[in-house]
Amino acid sequence: MEVNINKENGKTLVKLDGRIDTTNAERFQNDICPLMEGDDLDIDIDCSGMTYTSSQGLRAFLMLQKKLMARGGKLVMRNMQPMVKEVFDITGFSNIITIL
Amino acid sequence: MGQGTRDTGHIQSLHTEMLLDEYHENLPIFKKMETVVMNRLRACLEEKKIYVAGLESRIKTEKSLSGKLELKGQKYSTLEDITDILGVRIITFYSDEVDLISALVEKLFDIDWDNSVDKRKMLETDRFGYLSLHYVCRIPASMCTDPAMPQLNQLRFELQMRSTLQHVWANMYHDLGYKTEVEIPVEYQRSMSRLAGLLELVDEQFIQIRKEITDYRRHVQSMVANGNFDEVPLNADTFRGYLNLKPFKRLADKIAAINQAEIYEDNLMPYCHILLLMGMRTIGDLVRMYNDCNEGAYQLALIQLAGTGLDIVASSVVMQNLCIVFVLKKGFGEAGLVRLFDLLYGTSEYNEQRAKRVFEQAQKINLIGCL
Repeated sequence: MEVNINKENGKTLVKLDGRIDTTNAERFQNDICPLMEGDDLDIDIDCSGMTYTSSQGLRAFLMLQKKLMARGGKLVMRNMQPMVKEVFDITGFSNIITIL
Repeated sequence: MGQGTRDTGHIQSLHTEMLLDEYHENLPIFKKMETVVMNRLRACLEEKKIYVAGLESRIKTEKSLSGKLELKGQKYSTLEDITDILGVRIITFYSDEVDLISALVEKLFDIDWDNSVDKRKMLETDRFGYLSLHYVCRIPASMCTDPAMPQLNQLRFELQMRSTLQHVWANMYHDLGYKTEVEIPVEYQRSMSRLAGLLELVDEQFIQIRKEITDYRRHVQSMVANGNFDEVPLNADTFRGYLNLKPFKRLADKIAAINQAEIYEDNLMPYCHILLLMGMRTIGDLVRMYNDCNEGAYQLALIQLAGTGLDIVASSVVMQNLCIVFVLKKGFGEAGLVRLFDLLYGTSEYNEQRAKRVFEQAQKINLIGCL
């Protein structure tokens, strides 16, 4: 799993590539940890390169969303591959996180 | 100009300079006072869960203070006599909340009652105008002390409390360039008074509407609690009340058990709008939908989640699956599912793919058109 974080016009853009599974979920959580505590309020995640997420990935996205919302921010995930989107759909996470 | 007038003017100017020097010396104290007062008010409002339309503060600028001293400088011997260098304002949503806020302020700060004024009580019964409660306060030593700044508990500040509509009127008045009612040209005084009267009426109407809505909510909550579901219209209030009974918990637990999953309790309120669009009119309709569709909703979750190892689900997956099963049992097919997903998540091409996939899964478990 590759996590690339960039800033553009006051927005934080994150690009995810690869799988989030039991072998790398902890590292993924550490990688996105700065986003939870930084000044970033609007985070846009490009998921076009993400091929799978496990429950640990869902928990990490949920935690990020909660931290952002507590500060009046917003998380948007976009360009999700159908197989990944299905994970969000069948767990009800599509109801929680804005997916475009 | 005579010698006497020149001397008086010179003395006044010296007096103003002295007060302005004092102002500059004390500016750090006023800034500290502002921080202490605002933090305490914010914390207190949050703790008591009191929502206000605005909480604002300002420290008088040198220019504004000079103007004030120019007009009535002789009134003040020292800076301590000027009570509004630090000004704080609390703006409530409703006019009857001003008294609630004032009770809170009285507990927090030492009030200088001799200089505090309730402008709401100053107007004659047949006059309309500025309505606001002004307290002159000190920070009590029990709240905050600083040995390096003893004036922190000596200098006073002004705290104004008024409703949003009272604030609107006062702001417009101020924007026109007048500080007091007597300054406004007579021909416009009547117009401003008329508007003040109108806003006072609107304030009262809002309080009345709030009371009626509160009564309505209590009434429908008791109807929901008593199980008179067919008599309870479906709307945001009744849906919220119904959800408080946790009617979907059993199904959520059953779905979570598929993978021994954790349930994340999310907001089901967005589904109220969807249920109304699906033709439900009463909570009774929702109960019937649950009874008819809950087994199908579980079967759908089973076919989707079993074997995935996904051990977290949102509680809204229950409502999501109930709606899916309802649409299919009503015979709306794939097109109905696309419409449902469009309503829930916004239109996208992906919704068609998802509808196709869910429709195929539903066929496997015989969910189609049997309601």
